[in-house]
Amino acid sequence: MPGRLAFTIARRELRGGLRGFRIFLLCVALGVGAISGVGSLADALVDGLRRDGRLLIGGDVELRLTHQPADAAQLAYLQAAGQVSLAIEMRSMARRLDGHHRGLIELKGVDQQYPLYGRMQLDQGQDLAAALAPRDGVPGAVAEAVLLQRLKLQIGDRVKVGAATYRIAAAIRREPDRGADAFVLGPRLMVAKVSLKATALIREGSQVKYRYRVALPPGRDVAAWIEELKLEFPDAGWRVRDVRNGVPGLKRFIDRMRLFLTLVGLTALLVGGLGIGNAVRSFLEGKTGTIATLKCLGAPSRLIFQVYLLLVLSLTALGVLVGMLAGAGMPLLLSGLLAGLLPFQVSFDLHPLPLFLAASYGFLTALAFAIWPLARAQSVPAGALFRDLAAPMTARPSWRYIALAVLAFAALAGLAILTAEEQRFAIWFVCGAAVAMAAFLAAGLGIIELARQLPRPRSGRWGAVLALALTNLHRPGAPTIPVVQSFGLGLSVLVAVIGVEGNMNLQVTERLPEKAPAFFFIDILPDQATPFEALALSIAGVEEIERVPALRGRIVKINGQDAAKVSVAPEVAWAVRGDRGLTYAALPPPDAQIVAGKWWPANYAGPPLISLDAAIAQGINIGVGDRLTLNVLGREIEATIANLRRIDWSTLGINFVILFAPGALEGAPQTFIATAKTTPAAELPLQMAVTDTFPNITAIRIREALEAVNGTLRNIGIAVRSIAAVALVAGGLVLAGAVAANHRRRVYDTVVLKVLGATRRRILATYFLEYSILGLITAVLAAGVGTAAAYAVVAQIMGMPWYWLPNGVLITTAICLIVTVGAGMLGTWLAMSQKPAPLLRNE
Amino acid sequence: MAISDDMMIDLDDVHLTLPSEAGPVDILRGVGLSVPRGETVGLVGPSGSGKSTLMAVMAGLERPSAGRVQVAGQILQDMDEDALARFRRDHVGIVFQSFHLIPTMTALENVAMPLEFSGVRDAFAGAEAALGEVGLELRLRHYPSQLSGGEQQRVALARAVVRRPSLLLADEPTGNLDGATGGSIIDLMFRLHQAANSTLILITHDPALAARCDRIVQMRDGRLDAAPPLAAD
Repeated sequence: MPGRLAFTIARRELRGGLRGFRIFLLCVALGVGAISGVGSLADALVDGLRRDGRLLIGGDVELRLTHQPADAAQLAYLQAAGQVSLAIEMRSMARRLDGHHRGLIELKGVDQQYPLYGRMQLDQGQDLAAALAPRDGVPGAVAEAVLLQRLKLQIGDRVKVGAATYRIAAAIRREPDRGADAFVLGPRLMVAKVSLKATALIREGSQVKYRYRVALPPGRDVAAWIEELKLEFPDAGWRVRDVRNGVPGLKRFIDRMRLFLTLVGLTALLVGGLGIGNAVRSFLEGKTGTIATLKCLGAPSRLIFQVYLLLVLSLTALGVLVGMLAGAGMPLLLSGLLAGLLPFQVSFDLHPLPLFLAASYGFLTALAFAIWPLARAQSVPAGALFRDLAAPMTARPSWRYIALAVLAFAALAGLAILTAEEQRFAIWFVCGAAVAMAAFLAAGLGIIELARQLPRPRSGRWGAVLALALTNLHRPGAPTIPVVQSFGLGLSVLVAVIGVEGNMNLQVTERLPEKAPAFFFIDILPDQATPFEALALSIAGVEEIERVPALRGRIVKINGQDAAKVSVAPEVAWAVRGDRGLTYAALPPPDAQIVAGKWWPANYAGPPLISLDAAIAQGINIGVGDRLTLNVLGREIEATIANLRRIDWSTLGINFVILFAPGALEGAPQTFIATAKTTPAAELPLQMAVTDTFPNITAIRIREALEAVNGTLRNIGIAVRSIAAVALVAGGLVLAGAVAANHRRRVYDTVVLKVLGATRRRILATYFLEYSILGLITAVLAAGVGTAAAYAVVAQIMGMPWYWLPNGVLITTAICLIVTVGAGMLGTWLAMSQKPAPLLRNE
Repeated sequence: MAISDDMMIDLDDVHLTLPSEAGPVDILRGVGLSVPRGETVGLVGPSGSGKSTLMAVMAGLERPSAGRVQVAGQILQDMDEDALARFRRDHVGIVFQSFHLIPTMTALENVAMPLEFSGVRDAFAGAEAALGEVGLELRLRHYPSQLSGGEQQRVALARAVVRRPSLLLADEPTGNLDGATGGSIIDLMFRLHQAANSTLILITHDPALAARCDRIVQMRDGRLDAAPPLAAD
């Protein structure tokens, strides 16, 4: 432990001010600010989510059934437990009475009890029940403003949904449970549940969700009640949610984003760590005289180490404090921006845990990067007072200090891994960061060694320029390593982020136009199937209609064992959690790639067989010959897996995880779904023709659906890029610090060169060559490291196909290179404006 | 070999070779020197002859490559870095040409440092007294940058003698000062040396200054010249 004397001397040394530590402080504050900001924001979101959980799911417990409502016994049980409200939801089309405009809607029929919690807010403050009540025999409906805009509707106008006509009574300002569904394709239209019958949309097999919300009496243990419910109705097939897992998708998403952004923030801190190390080294090199003097006066080495460690820690504390303040304010700062995007209120309490975590990252980073120069400084010989004080510190620290530095890095890695929700991701990151830092250190050393080993260019005008440029790279105290590391790491982060973002965008947009169909049609009744297809194909520009039967079923047993008790890989858990779409076919789908087993004969008529998605099979650890039992509308069907298919979901064609052989499902109530490939000009006529002729059929325009997904991606992109920008700024700061630290030396060199008769052009050419060599090698390496990191995230962690996007990498690298070399040249230009005489007099 | 207790410095065949990019450089080549307690020695010689390095060896700041170094009864070449620091703290005061004050500390704090390192309770009182001895009682709270060159060297002198060391080493203490200021510093240094009855080794290029010492030792090419010269270069 440092003694009182160490504190006293450190306090006196602090009087020297913050000069030389500005970049140090900025690096710490930026990194800690980014990490604590991300953490605070994520905590604020999760808190808000938890606090508003009851509002979001619309009750203490929600039971969701697809296709059919609860039976009388189930309903009676629910009603005995507490207050019950039923909301019926489906996707449908809304049409103006004149037929000019129509659009996809998320239709919701609510009862008198809705909402059990929270309040439905309408634009003019109207009462919901009054708004939905029939007037002049026409039931009311309330709609999101965007629907009114799309269909060019006014309050009081009428709109057709299926076979029914509604009067638009008000616009929705806030629907308390709107955030419960992550996958929303259209604007909301809310009507009274009793009015739904007139739409004639609820038919056997159509995609209808029944959401039963139960408000339990105060004090009732929700978890215990759910357990009792499951025992009472083990085969009900409802999906149960309560406040604890209210919006699991959203919570998972926030956790994932928190991890991703924290790691990007940590990269910023690591890049900043280089700046911290450089600042400490350069500060201590300026302190060689003081250290040697202290030693002359009898100070032991340990005291020297303690003094400057205390100094570094107190400056780190200052940077950490500034960063924490900025981070803690982040939720408040972004509240305005988030208010419109989120279905719940963000909490603005102080979240100590992420702040503490960020502070720990800050201190550990500072320690990890400062120990090496600190240990070097304590070994400055007292005899230095009799020699050249400006000589750079080059002694290798003792093993004790090297072990200490390694320990600090290990603690940093351990903290990142142990606090991560997905540790696999964090381990990848830690390994990647270590490899990248080592690679750039090796590159720096390599460049120095290469510059040293290269034969001296032949004399002559440009030979001398090249010779000087090469010497500048390897002379003692040259900033080659800090420049390579900071520029390299900063650029790698940028290239990686651009690579990941580019790939994500590519998945949903850029690759689609050639492959994706224009429309999905859902809820096509069996008797409408043939006329629908005939109608669609009769429209000019409609190129292809693909139509398959669609049913829903739930995996209840795997090889005879209760599916809930079988251990399944987390990434495929969704497939056994609830209802899945099912279909049946005699022939394999056109693009099907059978990877195991054989397709059944077209005229197959035997015991039920299924074809299963290969990835799902792998996650459940089953294969050809294993048995799955599916509950299809209450009937259990046991089927044997005949083959496994690899599905390319990115085509957006019709794909089913489970596909039955003919014979098992034909008798079950079902509808058809279809895709249509059309020319752009045929899209609107097709939509109008189909929805006019078959009001119950819903047309989902792929382009519009993707717009919704794209909007979300754009917001994620902004968040990712903001944090990545912090990493880049940190890199820029470190680079600026390294260049500035070298500026004095360069001014002196430039003056001496001028005295010796070098023209400004020649001096500029020398430095241009030096920076270009350094920048170009680093940029190429950074492009490689960044691309490898992006590949790891996209292909290994996200499991998506990887596309190399050379343009993005090239443009980013080139811009960074130009900026860096430009900044270096600007520094040189400033150095050249020095008049030689005054400087030489002072030397 | 038995050494008399009266001997402050006893150097026997001291060699020092330092590595350099151009190959090893022999800086000291077999120096032998004995200095009794209380003696003043003027160390003279051309630049690069090894004077400062020899002084660094005496102070335990530089470890010899070969030979034996005994100062104040202690064999220095066997001591580790921290033991040498303690040795300096207890026995040696050094005055440098460029003062080497710590810029972030006041005159008082600079002078108090050696006392603080020794764990002296009243370090500031002792430092204040030492600064009074060099005539700087009104400059206690000034930082080095607020002091003139002469004043800075007085602070350095006060710092060197505050622990009453038995050996005072001065490496061209007037080299950065004008003639008048330098003269007053030298007078002060000799006065303090006499008061403390310490041994003084003084490196100088000034023959008149060297002549004030009990003995003059001439260095050339890392060796001591046999005969004391009358004038340095």
